[in-house]
Amino acid sequence: MEEKPRERVTQPDVRKAAMRLIGRVKPVHLTIVLILVVGTFMSVGNKEFLSLYNIDTILSFGAILLIAALGQMFAILIGGIDLSVGGTISLISVMFVFLVHSVGYWAYPICLATGLVLGYINGVILTRVKIPSFIATLGTGGIITSLAYVVSPRPISAASDDYGYFAVVNGSVWGVSNVFIIGLVTFVCILAFLRFSRAGRNIYFVGSNIKMAWMSGTDIAETRNVAFMLCGLCAAMVGIIISGVRYGGDPVVGTSYVLNSVAAVVVGGTALTGGTGGVVSVLFGTLFLSLLDNGMNVVGIDQYFQQALLGVMIILGVAVTFDRTKTPVIK
Amino acid sequence: METTISRTQTVVLAAEGITRRFPGVTALDHVSLEIRSNEILGLVGENGAGKSVLTKILIGIYQADEGRIWLNGNEVVMNGTSDAIQKGIGAVFQEGSLIPNLSVTENLFLCHEADFLQYGVLSKRRMAAEARRLLLPMNIDIDVDAPVASLSAAAKQMVEIARVLWLSEKYGASNPVVILDEPTTVLNDSERDTLFDILNKLKRRASIVFISHRLQEVLENCDRIVVLKDGQNVTDMPTAGLQISEVEKLLVGHDFSGDRFRENEQLAPNEPVTLKIEQMGKAGAFEPVSFDVHEGEIISLVGLVGSGKEELCRCIAGLDQYDTGSVTIDGTRPRKGSSRAAVLGGIGHVPIERREEGLALNLSVADNINYLVLDKLKWAGLISSRLEKEHARRWVAECLVKTPSIGSACAGLSGGNQQKVILSKWLSSGVRLLILDHPTRGIDIGAKDEVYRLIRKFAKSGIAMIIMCDTLEEDIGLANRLLVMRERRLIGEIDASPGHKPSPQELIKLVV
Repeated sequence: MEEKPRERVTQPDVRKAAMRLIGRVKPVHLTIVLILVVGTFMSVGNKEFLSLYNIDTILSFGAILLIAALGQMFAILIGGIDLSVGGTISLISVMFVFLVHSVGYWAYPICLATGLVLGYINGVILTRVKIPSFIATLGTGGIITSLAYVVSPRPISAASDDYGYFAVVNGSVWGVSNVFIIGLVTFVCILAFLRFSRAGRNIYFVGSNIKMAWMSGTDIAETRNVAFMLCGLCAAMVGIIISGVRYGGDPVVGTSYVLNSVAAVVVGGTALTGGTGGVVSVLFGTLFLSLLDNGMNVVGIDQYFQQALLGVMIILGVAVTFDRTKTPVIK
Repeated sequence: METTISRTQTVVLAAEGITRRFPGVTALDHVSLEIRSNEILGLVGENGAGKSVLTKILIGIYQADEGRIWLNGNEVVMNGTSDAIQKGIGAVFQEGSLIPNLSVTENLFLCHEADFLQYGVLSKRRMAAEARRLLLPMNIDIDVDAPVASLSAAAKQMVEIARVLWLSEKYGASNPVVILDEPTTVLNDSERDTLFDILNKLKRRASIVFISHRLQEVLENCDRIVVLKDGQNVTDMPTAGLQISEVEKLLVGHDFSGDRFRENEQLAPNEPVTLKIEQMGKAGAFEPVSFDVHEGEIISLVGLVGSGKEELCRCIAGLDQYDTGSVTIDGTRPRKGSSRAAVLGGIGHVPIERREEGLALNLSVADNINYLVLDKLKWAGLISSRLEKEHARRWVAECLVKTPSIGSACAGLSGGNQQKVILSKWLSSGVRLLILDHPTRGIDIGAKDEVYRLIRKFAKSGIAMIIMCDTLEEDIGLANRLLVMRERRLIGEIDASPGHKPSPQELIKLVV
C-alpha cells in the first residue's frame, strides 16, 4: 500500500494542477475573454469597428447602459431586482424636457430627487409592506410608465431656446464626451461607496445572509431602502442623459433598459441570489453587451435577427460566466 | 442473547480499500468497512474524517477512485442513489430530503406512484393505507395526509427511514442497509430514545449504520464501532465494555486530559453586574424570570427543549419581543424586540444555526470578522483596507482560525473554524454579554477544546456569558452557575464554581 506506482500518482497531480488553475479563474475573467472574442469577430467583419469614431460611439452608449446597470446592481446585490427602472427612465426623460423649459438648471436636481423618491417607494414596499421586490417593482414600474404617458403621451422635442441647458450632457472636455465622463465618475463613486463605506458593506451582508446581518444589528430596512434609492437615482441619471442626447423625451425610451440592465449585471458573473459581484464585473458585462449591440449594426446583421442574436449571446454569456459554486440549486 | 445473534451474522455490505481524492485533499485513503446483518454499526470520526464521503460512495453519489464494494459476496458498482436503493442500501441525511409541502404519503411513495394505479388512476386510498402500514412499526402517531412541513424533526426522520425500508422491500432486498447521518442532532432526548427503540427493533430485519458525534449514544446503542481519522481506518471493535475516553483517544490521536472543560482556568466572577433581568416574561413561552449575570461570569441555562430557555435567550438578544419586565445591560435598557438595540447595547449572540444565521458564507473571513467594527477601522472617514487586514489577522491569530488566507470565503472552512470566526467577530466588537447557543454543536473534539479555551479567556477579560450546551457535562464544566428551567419556569439555581460542581445525575433529576 505504501509503494504506489509512479504513473498513478502523476496523473491526478496533473488533474489537480488543472483544477487549481480553473479554481483561480473568476467569472469576470471569462467575461473579458468573451469581450475579446466578440471584439475580434466584429473587427474582422468590418474594419471600421475599431475606428476612433465607432469606439467613441460604443463607449458613450456603454456609459449610459453602465449607469443603469450599476443601479440595477444594487437591487441585485441585496438579493432583489428592480423592474421599474424602465418606467423611471421614461418618466424622467419626458419630465426633464418640460422642467428645463420652465425652471432651467433646476431640472437636474429635481429629476435626480424624483429618482431617489421613486426608489425609496420601491424600498418601502419591500421593507414595510413586505412584498418581494420582483412583484413590487413590477407594479410600481407599471404605475411610473403610466405617469410618463400622462406627462407626455408621445415623444416630445425640446425647444431650441433650451438647448443650452443640455450642454451638461452633450458637451465634451478635451474631445472626451461628457456622457463618458459622467459614466466614469459614477463608476468611481459607486466603487468607493461599496469599498469604503459602512452602508456599502451592509449591502453585501444583507444580500449574502440577511438573517446573519439582522442578528448582528444591521438596519435591514435602511440598507434595502438605500439600495433601491441608489437604483432609482441611477435610473434618473440615465433618463436625463437620454433626454440630453436626443434633445427630447420619449415615454417608452426606458423599456429596453429593464432587461439590458439585468443582463449586463448577470453577464458580468453576478448571481441573482445576491451578495456577490461588484462594479468591475458590471463594467465588463456592460462592455460586452455594448460591443455586441454596436457590432451587430456595424457588421450589418439584419435588424430582425439582432434581438435573437442578443438573446443567444446573453444565454451563452451567462452559461460561461455564471458562478455556479455560489448557487447550488438553479431555479 | 447478543452472542447468539453474532454467531449467525453474515457480512452484507463490504467496502474494501476505498480511496477518494478531491482537489487538494485525499478524503478517504484505503478505507475498509464491513456491515453485518442484524447489527447497528457506529461510524464515528471528527469532522472531515471522511464519514460523509464514505456514505456517499456506498450509496453511489460519489464513485471511489480506488477500491471495491461487495454486496452479499458479489462485487457491485453503485450508480447513483436509485441504483443503491434497488440493491437495498439507502441513507437518511441530517438535513433531510423530504419535500415539505407534500404530504407524508406523497413523500413516502414519491416517484413510485405507479405502484398504486387502479384502472389507470392513482388510488389515494391504497396509498394512505400502505403509508399507515409502513409507519405502524415506527411508533409515531401522525396524519399521513398532513404536509411534511408540519411534522417534528423526529417524525420526519421516521418517514425517511420508512421510505428506505419500503423501497428495499419493494426491490426484494433481504437485509436492507440503512445509513443514518447524524440523526440525533435535531432530536430532543425523548425523541432520541424513541429512535433507538425503533432502531433496535429494526435490527431484526435490517442493518443500520449510525453516524454520530455523540460517543455516549454510539457506545450505548451500537453493536460495533468503526473509527475513522483523517480518511483512514483507526479501529473496528465491538462496543461492549468500551469506555468513552478510549474512543476519544482514538479519535483525537492523543490522550484527552481529565480537565476537558478547562475547569482549572475558571475564575470567580467580578462584583459588577453586567446583565440584569427583572421579571421578564413572554406569554406562552416562559413565566417571568429575574436573574443577574456578573462580569466574567458564565451562566448556563439548563432544561429540555420546550423548557423556555431558547425563547428567553432570543428575547434577551432582541430577536423576539417579550411582554413584561426588563433587560438592563451595563445600566442601560435597550429597546425591546430590536436586535440592533441589543447589539449596540453590547449583547452578542452566537446562534446554533451557524451557517444559516451566523456567517455570510460567500464573503471572506476578514469581512466576517470585521463586520461589527468597521467604523473603528476607518482612516479619514473611509474604511481602510490596511486596518481591516491588520484587525482580521490579529483575530485569526488570537482565535487560532485555520484558514488558507483571511481573504478566503467562510463557506470553505470547517465547522469549528467557522465557529471561531463568529466568536472573533463578537469578541473583537467589545461585546459585554455573549449568548452562546450550543457553541460546540457539530464541531470536532479538537476544535471544541479551542472553543473552551476562548470561552475561558474571554470570561477572564470580563465578558459575561449565557450558554446552552449539547450535554449536561459541558454545561456543568463550563458554568459558574446553572439556572434550571422546566416547563417554562425558572425552577432553581445551582452553584457550579470549581470544587462545587454538581454531578450530571443530580442535575438531570431537576431537569426532567
